[in-house]
Amino acid sequence: MTGLEAGGIATGGAVRFLGQRRFYWRLLIRGAVLLMVTLGIYRFWLVSDIRRFLWANTEIAGETLEYTGTALELLLGFLVAIAILIPIYAGFFLAALDLGLLAKLSGVLAFAVLGLLGQYAIYRARRYRLTRTVYRGLRLHQEGSAWGFAFRAMLWWIATALSFGLAYPFQLASLERYKMRNTFYGDLRGRFEASGFALLFRGLPMWALLLAPFGLAIRGFLGVDWQALADAVAQGGDDVMSKIEGGNPGLGAAIVFAMLMTATSIALAAILYPAFQAMILRWWCSGLRFGDIVVHSTLRTRHVYGAYARFVGYAILFSIVMGIIGAFSLGVTDTAVSEKFDSANQIAATLGLLVGYVVAALGFSTIYRATVLLSLWQLGMESLQLSGLSALETVKARGRPSSALGEGLADALNVGSY
Amino acid sequence: MSRAAEPMNSGAGIYFDGVTSARRDVLVELAPTNLQISGRDGHSWGQWPYDEIEELTAPDSILRLGRRGSATLERLEIRDPAFAAEIDARAAHVDRTGAGQRRERMRVIAWTVVATASLLLVAWFGVPAIAGRLTPLLPATVELKLGNAVNMQIRSMLDSRNAGAAFECGIAAAELRGRAALDKLVRRLEEAAALPLPLRTNVVRRDEANALALPGGQVYVFQGLIAKADNADEVAGVIAHEIGHVAHRDGTKAVLEGGGLSFLFGMLLGDFVGGGAVVFAAKSVLQSSYTREAETAADAYATDLMNKAGGDARGLAAMLDKIGGAPEPGMKILLDHPETKARVVAIRKAAAAVSPRPFLDAGEWAALKSICAGS
Repeated sequence: MTGLEAGGIATGGAVRFLGQRRFYWRLLIRGAVLLMVTLGIYRFWLVSDIRRFLWANTEIAGETLEYTGTALELLLGFLVAIAILIPIYAGFFLAALDLGLLAKLSGVLAFAVLGLLGQYAIYRARRYRLTRTVYRGLRLHQEGSAWGFAFRAMLWWIATALSFGLAYPFQLASLERYKMRNTFYGDLRGRFEASGFALLFRGLPMWALLLAPFGLAIRGFLGVDWQALADAVAQGGDDVMSKIEGGNPGLGAAIVFAMLMTATSIALAAILYPAFQAMILRWWCSGLRFGDIVVHSTLRTRHVYGAYARFVGYAILFSIVMGIIGAFSLGVTDTAVSEKFDSANQIAATLGLLVGYVVAALGFSTIYRATVLLSLWQLGMESLQLSGLSALETVKARGRPSSALGEGLADALNVGSY
Repeated sequence: MSRAAEPMNSGAGIYFDGVTSARRDVLVELAPTNLQISGRDGHSWGQWPYDEIEELTAPDSILRLGRRGSATLERLEIRDPAFAAEIDARAAHVDRTGAGQRRERMRVIAWTVVATASLLLVAWFGVPAIAGRLTPLLPATVELKLGNAVNMQIRSMLDSRNAGAAFECGIAAAELRGRAALDKLVRRLEEAAALPLPLRTNVVRRDEANALALPGGQVYVFQGLIAKADNADEVAGVIAHEIGHVAHRDGTKAVLEGGGLSFLFGMLLGDFVGGGAVVFAAKSVLQSSYTREAETAADAYATDLMNKAGGDARGLAAMLDKIGGAPEPGMKILLDHPETKARVVAIRKAAAAVSPRPFLDAGEWAALKSICAGS
């Protein structure tokens, strides 16, 4: 052990990750195989294993976290969530059949209701995870109204969409303040002190870089004669396209330019994504507070790029192996089938493709979890500087375990996370 | 901390009482039936019977213990591996080898495989059985509404023509005679069938040789089928087959089955990565297996109906033979089945031997052949 003997309190750089990558790989690969065999039912056990591993190997001030949730709780929460969602889905189905005003609205309504429910689930799931986290013999817990959070989150998403993403830093800050001021370690209340403005200023260059190509593309369209275009479309006929072309020699060029710019933007987004993730993670960690405990993050952007580079490396390796196996099995079936290509062979070929697709999807997701997600956890934790840790000595127990309904809803609505 | 080789009866531990976060260095003593925890000052923090001790998750270097049934989350941590082994040997529920965990995992795997198998059984037998029982209970108004909803979707899928010609044939002036011929043919079948709901039959501009029936009595005959037909009995046979689907309410049943499968596979299984493809494949395979029986039943109905209406039931067989021998690419709703030969034989066998009465005269047949001529 290090110098963290009983009673000794570290005041900085006190977070370590003890887990072994090898063990995590084994856990994930075994989980991926079992997911396939059980058509996904194993995911409750896999998620619990993952959390147990991450929690138990994260050491803060000499003591590791403990995850006390069980897969059966998650399964139960999922079943309850299904029972709640069935009537809702059935209602939307009937509304869509009705063909009246309700049917026209049912799409919008479904989007709003399911979106709201998704945010509700995210908050409740967070509560489940916190109350299953034990540290130094005390559990964390979360108060506050999940519906209150869901409405806030929906309003913020609308604001973010309307402002082309400029409101996103303020959304993060506001929602995080709501979450953290309702988060407790025992009776020690959390809060969130990072400001949306700080994140906005740091992220503004990135935002401008991503949106600039779109601005240029839109400017390209300004030269188009829209009136003539509308006339040509209204006239109709077989040669609409040639008429449009004739009236607007610039249109074709503008469309090509717009497509190029969109591609540029997407490529830029892919290149900048690790930097974006590092920026958010650093900002978020540095805003966390529990009583007198102050958190500061020194996460390095290049380390996050390193994690992604490892992901790309493994993914290429995996693709090559898959390609070789695919080509080999194709060659085998080809010689076997050449005489007669009946429906049985067709089914076998389709089945092979399907298995290949599922293996590839699970493979890439496993590699992503074992490289990027694990690294983000480890880097995020190890870059934390904690001060005011003497507050840890006098915390009193509070809070009770919550149900796993939120986790179940999040699973059924596909908004779940770790 | 060097000790002799003899059994260790005491060792150091770290104790959290579950009431406060204070971390306490304690002395742990192993009594015959329980484990005793006491502070440096001699204060006793508790006596844990060995059979109440449980092992909790921790890094490999630490043995973390809790007490079953305790009101708090009190924790005892042992960091000396030798002393941890001593406790392991005494407490039944502490198992550092991981054998218990492996056993637990095998049980989970076994049960999930069983659950998956039962899910597949429900999908194979249960879903069509439930849909079959439920369909007759649905009132006609609901079926009509369902049909309208399906119709809108199907039309947007099928209507791929450029602007200009309508999706339905028989609307333009040059096509009206063809429409009249179709109406005459359908009326004779409908009278013989005596359906509870009115039939709506349209020829539509699609090149495949195919036809389909929707819930609520809408029948679409594709232009490609009219083009392939050599006489009115062949067209009538196909329409009779589709009337069979309407009479058996197969469209409604299919919608219920599709919904049931979507629910079973989409929702219960949730969405793990790559699961979408599995769900889609399972649905396709199961649904085509459901329709197989429905097709045979519709054939029998069609043969029966043609006999009743005084037509030549062998027309359907001839048509199936034609399109079954040279399947068109794309949608294959009518002939989505490998055993076309068996169906043809069954229809020929059941066809009445009496001399059939023609559905249309030569002029009317020519008009029907050109029902999609004008545009």
